[in-house]
This record gives sequence, C-alpha cells and structure tokens, in this order.
Amino acid sequence: MLLTLIVLLPLAGFLANGLLGNRLGKPFVTVVGCGLPIVAFGLAVKSFLDLLAGGGAPIVETAFTWARIDGYAFDIAFWFDRLSAVMVLIVTGVGSLIHVYSTGYMKEDKSYARFFAYLNLFLFFMLLLVLGRSLLVLFVGWEGVGLASYLLIGFWFEEADNARAGKKAFVTNRIGDAGFLLGMFLLYWATGTLEMDRINAAFTGPVAPAVSASLVGILLFIGATGKSAQIPLHVWLPDAMAGPTPVSALIHAATMVTAGVYLVARMSGVYAQAEAASQVVAMVGVATAFFAATIAVVQTDIKKVLAYSTISQLGLMFVALGVGAYSVAIFHVYTHAFFKACLFLGAGSVIHALSGEQDVRRMGGLARKIPVTFVTFVVATAAIAGIPPLAGFFSKDEILWFAFASSRGGAPWLWAVASATALLTSFYMFRLVWLTFLGKSRMEPEVEHHVHESPWSMTGVLAVLAALSAVGGFLSLPHFLEPMLPLPRVPEHLHHFETPLLVGSILIAFAGLAGAAYFFGNGAARATRVRERFGGLHRLLAGKYFIDELYERMLGRPLTWISEHVFLRTGDRMLFDGTLHGLAGLARRTAGVFSRVQTGNLHLYAFLVVAGMAISLAWSFRHG
Amino acid sequence: MIDTILANLDTALLYVFALSALVGAVLMLVLRHPMQVAMALISTMVFLGGIYGLLGVHFIAAFQVLIYVSAVMVFMVYVIMLLDVRDASFTHRFSGWMLPGAAVGMLLLAALGYGLLLGVDRVASATPSFGLAEFAAAFLSEYWFQFELTSVLLVVAVVAALAVIKGSRGRDRG
Amino acid sequence: MDRLQILLLLAMALFTLGLAGVIVRRNLLVMLMCMELMLNGVNLSLVAFAQQTGTMAGAVLVFLIFVVAAAEIAIAIPIVLVLVRQRRTLDADAYTDLNG
Repeated sequence: MLLTLIVLLPLAGFLANGLLGNRLGKPFVTVVGCGLPIVAFGLAVKSFLDLLAGGGAPIVETAFTWARIDGYAFDIAFWFDRLSAVMVLIVTGVGSLIHVYSTGYMKEDKSYARFFAYLNLFLFFMLLLVLGRSLLVLFVGWEGVGLASYLLIGFWFEEADNARAGKKAFVTNRIGDAGFLLGMFLLYWATGTLEMDRINAAFTGPVAPAVSASLVGILLFIGATGKSAQIPLHVWLPDAMAGPTPVSALIHAATMVTAGVYLVARMSGVYAQAEAASQVVAMVGVATAFFAATIAVVQTDIKKVLAYSTISQLGLMFVALGVGAYSVAIFHVYTHAFFKACLFLGAGSVIHALSGEQDVRRMGGLARKIPVTFVTFVVATAAIAGIPPLAGFFSKDEILWFAFASSRGGAPWLWAVASATALLTSFYMFRLVWLTFLGKSRMEPEVEHHVHESPWSMTGVLAVLAALSAVGGFLSLPHFLEPMLPLPRVPEHLHHFETPLLVGSILIAFAGLAGAAYFFGNGAARATRVRERFGGLHRLLAGKYFIDELYERMLGRPLTWISEHVFLRTGDRMLFDGTLHGLAGLARRTAGVFSRVQTGNLHLYAFLVVAGMAISLAWSFRHG
Repeated sequence: MIDTILANLDTALLYVFALSALVGAVLMLVLRHPMQVAMALISTMVFLGGIYGLLGVHFIAAFQVLIYVSAVMVFMVYVIMLLDVRDASFTHRFSGWMLPGAAVGMLLLAALGYGLLLGVDRVASATPSFGLAEFAAAFLSEYWFQFELTSVLLVVAVVAALAVIKGSRGRDRG
Repeated sequence: MDRLQILLLLAMALFTLGLAGVIVRRNLLVMLMCMELMLNGVNLSLVAFAQQTGTMAGAVLVFLIFVVAAAEIAIAIPIVLVLVRQRRTLDADAYTDLNG
C-alpha cells in the first residue's frame, strides 16, 4: 500500500493543482504542490527503513492487473529493493527541495498553479519509472516524464523558441524509444515476461534465453541515449534550458536524465552477459563526456554550461556502467543530483538577482552582492570538480578507477579520456565561477543597481543542497548496493595502481582550478588572447560542432522535402483529392447524362410509359 | 336474315354498339377541332352506356350517361368553348411523336391481345342480379368505407380546384 | 370468340387508343379527353368481368371510378385554365419548363 501511495500522492497533487489551482490561489498551490512531495519523501523514508529491517529483501506491491493475454498477466506492480530505495529517495528528496525553491523562483509568474501541476505530474511519472517492477510500468513512466519534460520546457510557450525546444526534446526522445520498444519486444519474446527481476534471473540463470543479450542491451541503450542525452541524441538537452531553472535542475540534471542510467543498472543481469553492448555503452559514454566537456569550455550562457556539464557527467556514468561498475554509476547519480541541482538552482538565483540576465559576459563581481548564492555555488563547483572531501570526489574517483582497472572492459585509454574530461570539467566549472562571481563587474548599470539576494525559500534550499554535496560522499553507496549490484573484479596486478590514480585525480581537480584562475582571473585577459589565437577551434566549439546543423541538413531537409513533394503533392492532392473529386465528377457527369431524359415534354414521358408497359406485359405473358 | 338478327338481337346490338364505340374512339384521334373530338368522345361514351345496358347493369349504364356525358363532358365542352384558341396545336394536331406513338400503341395492343389469347379463366356464371337494390345494399354493408372515402375525395377535389383558381387569381392581380 | 372476349378486346382497344392519343395529339384538352377514354376502356373490362363472374365487386369499382374521374376532371381543367392564362397556348410542347 505504501509504495502505491508514494506514487499516487504526486498524481493527486497534479489533479488538485491543475483543476483547482487557479481558482483557489497561490497559498493552496504552494501547500499542496510542495506538501505532497514532502509527504511522499516521508513515506519513502519509511519504506526504506522497512527495507533495512527486512535485511534488504525486496518489497513487492501489486496494484492491479492491467491485462491478461495468452495466460500471461500484465500487472501494474511496484518493486522496492536497494536500488529503488536510492532512486526514490533521490527523486522525492531532491524533488521536494526543488519544489520549495520553485515557490520563491516562480512567485511572480502568472501560471504558478500550472507549473506546480506539471512538476507534480513529472514526479508521479518519475516514481512510476523507478518503482515499476516490469518494463511496461517503467516505460509508462519513461514516456510520462518525456511528456512532463515537454510541457515544462515549453512552459513559457508564448515564445515560439520555447515551444520548439519542447518539441525537439520530445521528438528526440521518441527516436530513442523506438530502440527501447524493440528491446522490450525481444525480451518478452525470449523470456516470456516483462518483469525485470525475472528477466535478470533468466539471463543470469543456467539456460541462456534465445536472444542475444548484446542485441537487447544495445536496443535498450538506444532508449537510454535518448533519455540521458548521449551522442547522437544529446541535441535536445542544451535547448531544454529554455524552460524555467527549477525545471532544468529537477528534470535535466537530477532525475529524468538519470533514467537511462537507472535502466541499464536495473537490467544489470542482461548487461553482465552482454560484453559487446557494455563496450558500446562505455565508448559512447566516454566520447559523449569528452565531447560535451570541450563544448562547455566556450559557452557563454550560464545554463548552457551547466547543460553540457550534465551531458558530460552522464557520459561518465555510462562509462561506469559499461565497465560493469553499476553501483558506482548509481553513486555518481546520487552525488550528481546534489551538486548539479545546487549549481542549477544557484544559476537560477543569479538570474533572479540579475533580473533575467543569463550571459556570463555581462556578469562579474557578484560575490559580495549575493554571498549565499556565491558560497553554495562554489561548494557545488568544488564537488563537481572532484576536490576532496566533497561528494563528487568520491564518486568520480571510483568511476576513474574502474574505468582503468575493471576486468570487464577497463582499459588505460578509457581512463585517460575520462581523466581528460575530469580536467576539463574542473576547468570550465571554475571558469564559470570566475566569470560570474569574481573580478570586476561587467553588468549593465541598471541591472547592477537592482542586484539582490534571493529569498529564503531559494537560498535555504541552496544551503541544504550544498551541505549534501559536501558530506554526501561519505555514505558509501556502492557498499550499500553490493548485495544486488556487485562491483566488478579487479585483476591482481592492477591493485597497486589504486593510490597513484587517486592522487592523480586530486591533482587533476586542482589543476583545473589553477588553470581557470590563470586564464580567467584579472579580467580574463589571457583567455581573450587564447580565444583570438585559436579562433577556428573556438568557433567550432561555440557552434557545438555544428551537429544541429548537420541533423537539419541530413535529416530535416530530406524529410521536409518528402513530406512536401511525396506526401502532400502526390499523395494527398493527387491521389486522395484526385480520387474523391474524380468520383464526385464521375457521379455528376453520369447524372448529367441521365438527366437528358427529362426534357419536360409530356409526350415523351407518355411514350416511355407505354413502351415500358408493353415490353413488361409481353415479357410477363411469355414467362408466365 | 332479319329473323336471325331479331333472334339474336342482343348479340347483334352488341356488335353494332361495339363497332360504333370503336369508330368514335378512332375519330377522336384524327379529328382536328377539339369540339369535334369532344363530340366523338360523347358518342363513344353513349354507345358504351348502351353496351352496359345490354349486359344488364342498367344502373351503371345510367350513371355512365349521367356522370360522364352530362357532367364531365359538358364541363369539357364548356372549357373548349371558353378556350377557343387557334394556335400551333390547331394547325399541327399531331405531335412529333406520332409515328413512334402509333407504333408503340400497336405493340401494346399486340401484347394485350396475346395475353387475351392465352386464355381467360371462366367461372361458372351464376345468374347475376345487378339490381339497384342489391347495389345500394352492397354500398351500405360491404363497401361502406369506400363510399365514405369517395365523399372525402370529392371534398378534396373541390378544395383543390378552389385553391388553384384562387391562387392564380391572386398572382394575376395587378 | 364469345361475348366476353369481344368485350375485352374492345376494352383493350379503347385503352390503347386513349394511351396512343396522349402521345400523338398536341392539344392539352384533347389529351385530357383521351385520358377519359382510357378510363372508359377500363370501366368496360370491369363490367364485363363482373357480369361474367356474377359478383357485385366489379360494379362497385366502376362506380368508384366514376367518382374518381369526376374529381380528376374537376382539378385537371382548372390547372389547364391557369396554365393557358399565362402562356395563351394549348400546345403541350410549349410547357417544357420541368426539364433537366
């Protein structure tokens, strides 16, 4: 009952806020919209304690049977084990914090109720995703979060660009979902069930199912690529920054984009048997991580930097998944949720303070003016850079170690690229700190005059998240998840590399910090000179490697051409309209021919009557 | 010869009346003036009345003359006299469909004749008594509904005629 | 060829002549009179059959046909009058407005 309640509370919030919110006013929306997720979090904690009391045995709750086909029942069931516990706590915990933040950030917005309705809807679907026992329920949640993401990205839909960004996110996701569906079909066909625990058991059991684990693995990974913004379906995430900042924090940093990571981790039974698929996952992950980090170095919009940073960090999580260290990837999901949410919300606080300015070239010198935001932002930046003893250090270091040493695909080159990514991460994050908060002010005078610290609803949440980013790493998640997601074996001869690599990653973090201080301190003069020297490279990176333009040229234009010429002109106009008009014309012409009998001449009519009468009489007399 | 005729007076008169009716009908088709056509029709009707009388249905014969000749045909004659026009239909009395019309008429007659030749069922003829008393009694007992309907029909006809004339007069005013 | 057959033949001939008359003649009033001729032919056949079978039904129907013919003429003549008042001609070929 408890799990079903956790899932349904946000849904109730959606309905209440959506239907009654505008009528009952902001206080009602605030209480319901924030209160229900907080209650859900409380219930999640309770379930977690129950889980621990039961020694980690999974709690299963079947809500109802959705369909019965061929003797197999498709149940809507919820599954709560260690992995689900971690995910649910992150989703409801960080989610509740972001809901509280939103009460401050969206206070002046006229669609306050709609915002919270959509946020609650998102929470409902995300909980379905992480609590579902079968791939069916997970997929419903998967699609649902995509819908909520679309609604929230295009929240200020009066601007056409925002609506377009929402559409792009949804469509790109759907492309990945095609792979997901194919994987699901294959799994059902091979194992006869869609319940993930049973699928994992089938793949790790004695008899291998009749489908290649790698094939299924790659297909499911395609779905994960769409949802978690990996190459080649990463293009929607930077555009999704058009949505309000709390949305970026919740959906595009902490929870939704980690759904792909969760999926792979959950299907670890399949991936453990799929060597080829795991290699693909690791390679795509590390390529995406490095690629996104290079772009983040030259971005000038504060949110875009964080967006590419998210893509990069997700790539690192997939590296961990690819080398078999599933629990380490989940550990990084957990730490990333804290510091990335803190970073995004901090950026929101900066934007709020500067009355809407998002370009870092027009910021600077904010440290004294908005101190709480500054401090929390720096703490979170240090966390993502991997400076010990903050949370990000622990998780990132584990990833790098297993990238190097895992017996299931770890290799030095993988470690090297990942470390280069870590270096770039530290560099561009501290660059962001310097450009935004330190140095001389480059703000417009009007904006500078109105700079003010954000209200407590926002800064309080920032403080909580910063604290979690600082100390969250001490909770060793891999150890907690060990019983169900064991860490991969490390070959004996590589054990002695552990300490050197640890020291190395610490040095990399500080090197990034130093580099940022060198280039961007003192008015960023050195950075400007470097940019002018390497102009071509800068343009390539600033243009995001022109991938969007490539997609437009390769896919967009041919599809539009086909739609215009084949479907519209030939198919619709010529075939359908032509057929319809042709038939109508045929009917009209035939009727025209027949109507020539009606001359209005009485004699003709009488003649026809007599003729018909004579013929029918003769015929009837002959044939009796 | 006179004796045979007198002996079978019924049949002889029947033949005479039948032939006369037929001649009248044919004349209807060829005469030019509508008044002449009306006269031909009246003669046909009278001879038909004679045939009815020979058959023994005297009241039907009476009604034939009473209703058809003295009501319907008199009305017709009045109208012909009223609308005494000398237009195209007077100078060219046959329509363009004369030949096809004649042909198809003969075709119809042939078909009907063929049907007649196939044989008509003969029922053992009881001696019919077509007295007026039986006729009236039948209308009051078995066919009373049809009788009432005819009165309705006549009312409707009167109303319709009035409506046609009144409506047209309203339109022509002014 | 007994009496019944002769009468029926006559009735058929009258009917056919009336029908042919409607086709052949142009004058509206003459066409109306030919329709009366048709009715007379039918009456004759009914009387012949009634007399032959000995039932009253045929005679009754003849009487009803009289009534109907009277009513029909009562309406048809005013229609012709109205038409003629507008077009001033009794030619059936002039009234072809209901074409197409």
